[in-house]
Amino acid sequence: MALPAKREKKTNSGRKKFFVRRRKACKFCVEKIEYIDWKDAKGLQSFIPERGKILPRRISGVCSLHQRKLQTAIKRARTIALLPYATD
Amino acid sequence: MRLYDIVVVLSPEETAEQTQAVLDGFKKILTDGQAKILVEDPWGRRRLAYSIGRRKEGIYHYWQAEAAAETIAELERKMRLSDEVLRHMAVRVDEELRRAEKLKARRQQKAARRPPKSAPAAAAESATPADVPVSEA
Repeated sequence: MALPAKREKKTNSGRKKFFVRRRKACKFCVEKIEYIDWKDAKGLQSFIPERGKILPRRISGVCSLHQRKLQTAIKRARTIALLPYATD
Repeated sequence: MRLYDIVVVLSPEETAEQTQAVLDGFKKILTDGQAKILVEDPWGRRRLAYSIGRRKEGIYHYWQAEAAAETIAELERKMRLSDEVLRHMAVRVDEELRRAEKLKARRQQKAARRPPKSAPAAAAESATPADVPVSEA
């Protein structure tokens, strides 16, 4: 499952061409969190970048199950002004 | 009876007595509807993530209650009518919590079945599975 950390391929000229990135692990799976609490605004904040949008899982590495739960939690927190809809 | 998370955000301009009176009114609706209040938590004055009607702060109050759907409907209706309420929300959480419990139980079962990660070689060597520790998590 886990990919090797950094595999570097070298071209004839000896320059690094590309490397395989380490796969990010889902934070909630690693910490064994089943229920993502919408009341925990501080915890959710780490999935809200500057702009206030929900961080896509291609960036955060969260698994699809937890991303869906995270999404509803963030949206709930937004309705009662715990989290912003957007900031600029 | 279902389990609900209920949050109200009240306007910070009211006096403390007024706020308390409004909250007591809401609580009375719950108790009159035979709801069981499991958690009551006044979060107090908090900064709003975005301004609501020029207000930057709000007084938050949280309940977790086991209530009938009709009681919650009545409570939400009252909250909507009340001028002091900036935001309100009542969400059903029992299903989600039950699902989380189930996942947790399943994981623990799996962990118990699997030999502990700390000694994978030793566990593989021993032919008798009886001496594998049962509890891991």
